[in-house]
Amino acid sequence: MAGAAVLRRSARRIYRHLAAAPAFSRSVLQQPKRLLSSQSSPEHGARGAVSGSELALYPPERVRNFSIIAHVDHGKSTLADRLLELTGTIQKGHGQPQYLDKLQVERERGITVKAQTATMFYRHVSASQDSDTPKYLLNLIDTPGHVDFSYEVSRSLAACQGALLVVDAAQGVQAQTIANFYLAFESNLSIIPVINKIDQPTADPDNVKDQLKRLFDIDPSEALLTSAKTGQGLEQVLPAVIERIPSPPGKCDAPVRMLLLDSYYDEYKGVICHVAIVDGALRKGDKIASAATGRAYEVLDVGIMHPELKPTGVLYTGQVGYVISGMRSTKEARIGDTLHQAKSTVEPLPGFKPAKHMVFSGLYPADGSDFEALSHAIEKLTCNDASVSITKETSNALGMGFRCGFLGLLHMDVFHQRLEQEYGAQVISTIPTVPYIFEYGDGSKVQVENPAALASNPGKRVAACWEPTVIATIIIPSEYVGPVIMLCSERRGEQLEYTFIDAQRALLKYQLPLKEIIVDFYNELKGITSGYATFDYEDSEYQQSDLVKMDILLNGQPVDAMATIVHNQKAQRVGKELVEKLKKFIERQMFEITIQAAIGSKVIARETLSAMRKNVLAKCYGGDITRKKKLLEKQKEGKKRMKRVGSVDIPQEAFHELLKVSNSK
Amino acid sequence: MLRLAFPLVSHLPRTKPAAVRPRPPLARRYASSASTSASSFSPPPSPLLPPPLPPASAYVHLPFCRKRCHYCDFPIVALGSSSAPSPGGGEAAEDPRIVDYVQLLLREVSATRPVSDDGVPLETVFFGGGTPSLVPPRLVATILDALRARFGLSACPEVSIEMDPGTFDAARLRELVGVGVNRVSLGVQAFQEDLLRACGRAHGVKEVHEAVGIVTACEGLQNWSMDLISSLPNQTQEMWEESLRCTVDARPTHVSVYDLQIEQGTKFGQMYSPGVFPLPSDTESANFYKIASKRLSEAGYNHYEISSYCKPGYECKHNLTYWQNRPFYAFGLGSASYINGIRYSRPRRTKEYAEWVQKLEDGTWCHESRSSDMKDMALDVVMLSLRTAWGLDLQSFSKSFGKSLALSLCNTFKPFVESGLVIAMDMDRRALPHIDFELDLQNEDDFGSRVAFIRLSDPDGFLLSNELISLAFGIISP
Repeated sequence: MAGAAVLRRSARRIYRHLAAAPAFSRSVLQQPKRLLSSQSSPEHGARGAVSGSELALYPPERVRNFSIIAHVDHGKSTLADRLLELTGTIQKGHGQPQYLDKLQVERERGITVKAQTATMFYRHVSASQDSDTPKYLLNLIDTPGHVDFSYEVSRSLAACQGALLVVDAAQGVQAQTIANFYLAFESNLSIIPVINKIDQPTADPDNVKDQLKRLFDIDPSEALLTSAKTGQGLEQVLPAVIERIPSPPGKCDAPVRMLLLDSYYDEYKGVICHVAIVDGALRKGDKIASAATGRAYEVLDVGIMHPELKPTGVLYTGQVGYVISGMRSTKEARIGDTLHQAKSTVEPLPGFKPAKHMVFSGLYPADGSDFEALSHAIEKLTCNDASVSITKETSNALGMGFRCGFLGLLHMDVFHQRLEQEYGAQVISTIPTVPYIFEYGDGSKVQVENPAALASNPGKRVAACWEPTVIATIIIPSEYVGPVIMLCSERRGEQLEYTFIDAQRALLKYQLPLKEIIVDFYNELKGITSGYATFDYEDSEYQQSDLVKMDILLNGQPVDAMATIVHNQKAQRVGKELVEKLKKFIERQMFEITIQAAIGSKVIARETLSAMRKNVLAKCYGGDITRKKKLLEKQKEGKKRMKRVGSVDIPQEAFHELLKVSNSK
Repeated sequence: MLRLAFPLVSHLPRTKPAAVRPRPPLARRYASSASTSASSFSPPPSPLLPPPLPPASAYVHLPFCRKRCHYCDFPIVALGSSSAPSPGGGEAAEDPRIVDYVQLLLREVSATRPVSDDGVPLETVFFGGGTPSLVPPRLVATILDALRARFGLSACPEVSIEMDPGTFDAARLRELVGVGVNRVSLGVQAFQEDLLRACGRAHGVKEVHEAVGIVTACEGLQNWSMDLISSLPNQTQEMWEESLRCTVDARPTHVSVYDLQIEQGTKFGQMYSPGVFPLPSDTESANFYKIASKRLSEAGYNHYEISSYCKPGYECKHNLTYWQNRPFYAFGLGSASYINGIRYSRPRRTKEYAEWVQKLEDGTWCHESRSSDMKDMALDVVMLSLRTAWGLDLQSFSKSFGKSLALSLCNTFKPFVESGLVIAMDMDRRALPHIDFELDLQNEDDFGSRVAFIRLSDPDGFLLSNELISLAFGIISP
């Protein structure tokens, strides 16, 4: 899912922020409350305690672990809600829609950022054995959908044996459908195509079946037709899960070994890990160890998510649930790690990787004095999002702040939004950048996560520069192919594929420098395709590029927070645009201001902001000086909010605005 | 930072010789056109006097207008065009609204307790509006009588009244002078028919010339001010030059030049945004300001305050009260007083004002507005004194608010002394080269050995006064 539509939603989100500031404080205030109430809230389908002996009734062959994957808005969350209701896990009409998306940012954007699991019990009337209706234990593993989290997705999928591939019956296959399909396919999952929203007047399930056949070689007869909204066709879904998805393959008698899917920090319970038991059984009181860190823990509590924490004291092979083991920070709970019986050597499960940070930006308190508050907020948020890298940095313009590394754009965006929504932090972020590699004539190499840290005049020859790239998939109605090709080539893209997925729609694949898409690529793409384009990307390798550092100078003083790395051929254009933008957003001051973009000591763009002409209040009417004084006080406060470099005051908006330029035409 | 217990009133040169000097002789009226002398602020400073506690000034608000001008956001009462006063203003023509209001105002005057019992009389009275010239002279007299009875009037007080062209004739003005008015502030605003109409003024150019004729011919009235507005919609440089020429030709003793402010809630506020056509651009309107400064200086006027010019000795003493942060009474709708260190603005609506007067009489009103603290006081002093050509007296500022604060202020202004927006002066009010100024700032002990005053330059510093003063605000109240 996400990449595309996620970004589309960010505009909506901004309006919401403007219109509904209270929503903000509400979320901050109510978050802990919800956590509290969720532990034993009766409306969430509390079935009483599920005992360990009950779980023993579900050997691996009675367990199915599956995930739902879809392009954003194709109905994944609604389908999940329906399945939870159908199995009595939650009660219909109780609890909030999009049950598994717990974060405000997930609900607003319709995306999943954190993996969630839910255990359901389902009595299956098998077609073949009409006498026996055994009960099955079904684990729905809700995964993040976006490429930023593709590692997390791959770990979640690794705990599944099958996936429901949900496709909107009217919109058909979109960019993230393709990305998700391949992730599931590469994880060897059984895929059940679900063509959803068939109640729509424009639904064309046959066309979608054709697309599935053409793109994924899926037999049209395998597709289930549903409407999660009206309930039509839903009765086929769980039987298909049981019949078409294999049971988990683990060894029941082996020492316990489990995959860590995701973790949360709970103020009261500490770190809660979601795990899938691959081999053996896990009991309360067991000693377990992490393969990644070697640290050992005692299992303090273990249970299933039904749909909230339900202690069972045990989890058996193939089952999915939670473990609380006295970990103090989610940094100890690395996604994809193998937890195993302590003091035994086990083969770690494959695929574990440390987080890879692809997008970096500086985060600074909007109000310079608030560094401590921001620091506190970041610390708390990283308790729940260990995948962000944080290092302190100082800027001449913005003061003390943090250099943050993110998995990708969406991750960065979500991090910002959570900082604001859940912790009330007001931040200025610098132009996002990617990890470039510069190699010098003397053979030394540096990875550049902050352009300001790169010497403008290094005193030695730059031998080569590399930048990360992505493979982007774009699906568009065919009439937009021309402009999209033009956009991609402006962004230094290289075409890899150009095919038609049906009579109206084209699929384009491009290799693009990551830097070229991190700022405004998607907005532009949406703009030139009347909103029809869907877009997704995956990381690709580094490529050698002709890169230069561009400084922005105000009255000769470089503004470190505005430094950026650009492609040599685009430097002139980007520089010109940046200085023009700055000229617009920096207010006239009592002296002339020159705004320059420079590469090394060579100025490539320049604007002059002439001195302010007048700012005078002519009259103190009838001795009433209070109004005038208020005005001057306001003016003073305005100055206080400015960031200052040398003698030049820079309004915060200038920093926000610069984020919008860096790449566009 | 604020070391001394600060007297509630200003430490600024409170009494200028001009303020106690008798009216300048008639012969002097135009005598000084050549005196565009070194200091634009003609009277030399007098030594600091002990803080004078009781106010010696009173502002009286007379809110009536025929109609509201398009730029105006004052507390006014529009009477409508039918109530143009009959020349001579007999009893029969008196509008009951005016009579009732004056009654109310008189009640306020008598319910106001003088600050001191030892009878410091009023040195200045200012009838502002609205259009005070719409109020029958008989009623103006009753107000002056009430003020005299309550607070006392000095031997030769300055009694100013704002008058609009078209609202008075020679007889009426004579009557006003007869009851004690001795200074007129004539609201001309422009000399172009189109501009007057566009502003929603209730008079035309013909009335302007008539009014000027009446004022200049009036015996016993030597002191009058012409009020102009620059940066009006569609105003061109030629028009502005013409207005200034007409002004100089009319030979007022005082000129007030107001740069149009677009206020929210006014008709102009709905129609225009500052700096956008048909309003002149910032550059043009800055230019208008500079032209006024140039033309009026050439004609012998001192630019003694951001928007005020006068022939030597003809400063508006009442307004000097404001700029020197001295206390003043105020009476009437929406008016603001400054008594015992407390600024208070009266209700802007007639009904609320009437209720307020009632409470004042009953003794049940006590104001919520807190007395200003030292910081506020310092802000006021800086804000007001930097409006004047006299500038900020660093010595007395240091005395009241501490040397280090004065030094910080000077340090903040350092680049602007260098660029010429701010002028540093020695005891003799000679401008200091910025090198000398900077030398003075090297350490606190030396500070003040050379520099004694800072002021904003004319016209460039004045034009950026808000910026410069708000910089100072940032130092005083970070």
